[in-house]
Amino acid sequence: MAMLLSVENVYAGYDKADVLQDVSLTVAAGSITCILGSNGSGKSTLIRAILGLTPPRRGRVMFDGADLTGMPTHRIVAAGIACIPEGRKVFPKLSVVENLRLGAYQQSDAAKIADRLQQVFEIFPRLAERAAQLAGTMSGGEQAMLSIGRGMMAEPRLLLIDETSLGLSPLLVKENFNVIRRINQLGITVLLVEQNVHQTLAIAQHGYVLSQGRVVASGTARELAENAEVRAAYFG
Amino acid sequence: MTLGLLSQYVFNSLMLGMIYAMVAVGFTLFFGVLDIIKFSHGDVLMVGAFTGLATYLGLEALGVDSALVQLLVMTLVATLSMALLGALIAKYLVLPLRLAPPLNTLLLTLMLGTVLREAVRLFYPQGSNPKPFPRLLPADSISFGSFTLRADSVILLLAGLAAIVAVHLLINRTKLGLAIRAVAQDAETARIMGINFEFIVLLTFAIGSGMAALGGLMNGLYYNEINFGIGLLLGVIGFSAAVVGGLGNIYGAILGGFLFSALQSVGAVTLPALFPGTSTAYKDVFAFAVVIIFMVWRPTGLIAEKKSERV
Repeated sequence: MAMLLSVENVYAGYDKADVLQDVSLTVAAGSITCILGSNGSGKSTLIRAILGLTPPRRGRVMFDGADLTGMPTHRIVAAGIACIPEGRKVFPKLSVVENLRLGAYQQSDAAKIADRLQQVFEIFPRLAERAAQLAGTMSGGEQAMLSIGRGMMAEPRLLLIDETSLGLSPLLVKENFNVIRRINQLGITVLLVEQNVHQTLAIAQHGYVLSQGRVVASGTARELAENAEVRAAYFG
Repeated sequence: MTLGLLSQYVFNSLMLGMIYAMVAVGFTLFFGVLDIIKFSHGDVLMVGAFTGLATYLGLEALGVDSALVQLLVMTLVATLSMALLGALIAKYLVLPLRLAPPLNTLLLTLMLGTVLREAVRLFYPQGSNPKPFPRLLPADSISFGSFTLRADSVILLLAGLAAIVAVHLLINRTKLGLAIRAVAQDAETARIMGINFEFIVLLTFAIGSGMAALGGLMNGLYYNEINFGIGLLLGVIGFSAAVVGGLGNIYGAILGGFLFSALQSVGAVTLPALFPGTSTAYKDVFAFAVVIIFMVWRPTGLIAEKKSERV
């Protein structure tokens, strides 16, 4: 299968210290690929490096044959990458609809934006009911829906999902993974960053394990589920 | 006090309030998107007024003598050139300091304000003297008994109102305005949405500085005189108005502007009455004293900003 994204020998970090060291990974078009790792393993820095928020110091990020390394974030987004950021990060003083519209900021065709709004409202009827409400006044679960819906509004080719299940109740977590599967079925390639190992490996085809900024294991979801390193990274 | 005198005070107060509000909106916009105070804002207003005056003199020299054409051209030239100046200041002086402490930006723009002020004083012909500003608005007036309505004041007030409504619509009804609000609330997430952060910052500085230029022209047309120092006091007043209204909140800034001018008027009327022999010139002292007391009483401003409540 063709690789949509490839991260090649990337070093990235803050100030002088590199958080990511020589990280390489690929995401096949149409797949759900996951990044597993405990707190501080560099998962979020990897997402930031791909988005150009923490530009790689060395190495390359290739997307569909184009080199994204060093590009400003808005151009990387324009290339077809969207992100559901860690902690949901809805705009609290903007309405639900305004938040969703920002997800489609790169799209100027009003008809397409209306279609996508409709699509998001079908998946999350709750958001339609609360269209005019300020995002900051909604519950955590509703904000999670909004954040996911906002990521879908971009209709990206690659969707980066950073720990959306964090802080949700078990029922909502399950719902959350169902939604991710559904997004993938719409033809959107997903790179999923999670701490929730079992449910993540249940929906992903392929995965990588990060520990202290390095890739310590990779393989199919089944291989990872049986991998000793994975157990060590989480339970060791 | 006669009705005529009272109406004069009210009108004067509204006019000044409009100018202050236009300056304060800039302060609050800049703070909204970048969390910084741009102290040269008042001096950008002054440079805008001088640009308008120079444009007028240029048009006179070219033989263009229609007041309407002169007014439109000088408004256009002054507003657009100050918008450009504001964007350049943002790009080359403010944005590079993003990682420095905000105090450095305050100091840098304070010094820039002095540079602008002194540059006009030294390089504009006889720049240290007050300059007559042309009367380009119709001088007609209508009297209702002792109440006199001056056409030029009405036009200026309506123009100021139109500018503020235009900014309101831009911020609340357009895609760019949505992007400005998003950047103000969470710049990083705004970037993840695909918003060009730097462009939005430059645009915001251009809008605020264009508003300041309009305020400078209004000031000139109202008093028919400008000098190189007008920006200093107007800057401090605009800043105070923005703080009183709650820095980061546009409507607070507008409210703060009108509140400050109302305080000045109250000071001008009541001080000589309460303390015979006091000059009306103490109105600024009175207004600033009230603002100081207010700031101690309500440190977060009239419309309190709950950290995320921006623009």
